[in-house]
Amino acid sequence: MLRIQNVSKTYPNGTQALKNVSFDVADGEFLVIIGLSGSGKSTLLRCINRLIEPTEGKIIWDDVDITAASPAELRKIRRTIGMVFQQFNLVKRSSVLTNVLSGRLGYANPWTSLLGIWPQEDIAQAMQALERVGIAEKAHSRADALSGGQQQRVGIARALMQNPKLILADEPVASLDPVLSHSILQYLEQLNKEGITVICSLHFLDLVHRYATRVVALKDGVKVFEGSAKEIDRAKFKEIYGEEAQEVRAASL
Amino acid sequence: MPLPRLLRNTLITALVIAAFVISYRVTEADFPRLFRDLPKGRELLTAFLTPDVFTRDLETRTVSIVFPVPCGSASVEEVFPAEGPRLVPSVNCAAPLEKFTLQGFDLQPNSEVVIRWRLPDERTMTAIRTQTDANGYFSQEVQARPIQASVNGVASRLEVDTLTPVGGLKPSQALKDVLDNMFVTIFMALLSTTLATLIAAPLSFLAASNITRKGCFGTGVYYLFRSFFNLMRSYDPLVMATVFGFWLSFGPFPGFLALTVVTIASLGKLFSEAVENIDPGPVEALQATGAPPLHTVRYAVVPQIVPDFVSYIIYHWDINVRISTIIGFVGGGGIGYYLNLSINDFKWNQAGTAIWAIVIVVWAMDFLSAEVRKRLT
Repeated sequence: MLRIQNVSKTYPNGTQALKNVSFDVADGEFLVIIGLSGSGKSTLLRCINRLIEPTEGKIIWDDVDITAASPAELRKIRRTIGMVFQQFNLVKRSSVLTNVLSGRLGYANPWTSLLGIWPQEDIAQAMQALERVGIAEKAHSRADALSGGQQQRVGIARALMQNPKLILADEPVASLDPVLSHSILQYLEQLNKEGITVICSLHFLDLVHRYATRVVALKDGVKVFEGSAKEIDRAKFKEIYGEEAQEVRAASL
Repeated sequence: MPLPRLLRNTLITALVIAAFVISYRVTEADFPRLFRDLPKGRELLTAFLTPDVFTRDLETRTVSIVFPVPCGSASVEEVFPAEGPRLVPSVNCAAPLEKFTLQGFDLQPNSEVVIRWRLPDERTMTAIRTQTDANGYFSQEVQARPIQASVNGVASRLEVDTLTPVGGLKPSQALKDVLDNMFVTIFMALLSTTLATLIAAPLSFLAASNITRKGCFGTGVYYLFRSFFNLMRSYDPLVMATVFGFWLSFGPFPGFLALTVVTIASLGKLFSEAVENIDPGPVEALQATGAPPLHTVRYAVVPQIVPDFVSYIIYHWDINVRISTIIGFVGGGGIGYYLNLSINDFKWNQAGTAIWAIVIVVWAMDFLSAEVRKRLT
């Protein structure tokens, strides 16, 4: 159970990215966050694992207050929260295998891993993770030799190395060709069915309808909607995205 | 307001012209002299263009005759040969300060000739140098001097050495010395670059804003190291070499230290900028996995900076070879020191050899570093 309680974020330049946002995420949910660019989706996701420090409010994960955790405790909490990024955030010059293994750094022996030495079981787990996302044969390629879709699958494999209980996915398909969206989201759906909670920000409403068990909408840092995807009618849509918005379907592109 | 603007522009123009007049005066610019003094320059240029690179062994043969100064001061019992290698003076004896002509016949052809006096007390004095023609003949005016006067009935002798090159070309002493000194310079530059890299690489992370500049303490460390690099960079390597030279006396070691200090500052700055220019994405991703800070740097930062670091290191080695040449001039050892010595001894051909060696090495290193940088991405 993840509880987000009255979270606000004001950046040093004065921008208020989140204004008093609260909602709960039950275990096993596939929660989708929608909203325009700049509405605070990325900030919200990064507040959960404190890549960005919230200015106010609390985030409680399995009865532990993440916002009050010491640096060492925070690292322990982060180990159980996987994250997938819009820009994949792979080290381009490193091999795919190394990128996946680096997801294990929170658990690994600090001395040997600093030297780049990994135990057999970690390597086996990394290969297994790569097999799950269907690119085991690319393990020894450089990350930048892979296509965008393949790189995002490496990103998912890296998150899997953490044995996560929660995966935060920040626009995981926004940098990809829209026809590849399902290939990536299906992996997240599969993981969700195995019991991992997923919080994912998305752009396309048809993807939201297809994958979300619940939806939270942000507008200018304020939560303007919380409920099932079906409840988003024309009026709600206009409220979330503004009067000039028109729905675009990923499938129609 | 047209008048004040005109006034202002006129004033600015006048100031600019005055500045240029002053700069022309202080530099004592005298461009016509470039052409007036051309003969001097040509001599230097010819020497530089004919560097002392190869040499041949010289075979020396000596012939001599007795030559009393003044006439009758000694008895002459010697029989002058009529053929074979021989010397024939225009007179058989001379008064002091009298000039006469000395001819040589059937000597070694096309050879350098050294004419000298052997005084009664066995000391020698080189009189003059000349050259034999293809028939082994030379003719040269010689002056008798009071010092060549006979002593107790023993006359001075005129000796002539012919120096004939024999055998194949071999590297000259100058070439060997230049290669030795170039070796010193290249490896001095290599060692100082290596040592500077070992020191600058870890420190550069502390001077990179994206790594250190977090919180009060981090910001302090960041500014401390950033200003440390900037401060050290503001000293010219030449100044540094002079300081170390006075401290540790002159030689390659103080030159090496000066080079190292300057390189630490310069590489530290370049490295920290490379660290600041990385893609922050992977750092964020590894922080999100719960990786410790040092491991985040090792796995997310280091792979990204390796090509930049390597190319800066090679580039700096190249720079250091050039700088250490200059440092050699103030006593830092190596090829610069050798060049300085050659110039001070007016050995222009030898200096030419050193200059050519520097040109070739700098060119080769430039080419090499460009090639390596091309291959690193």
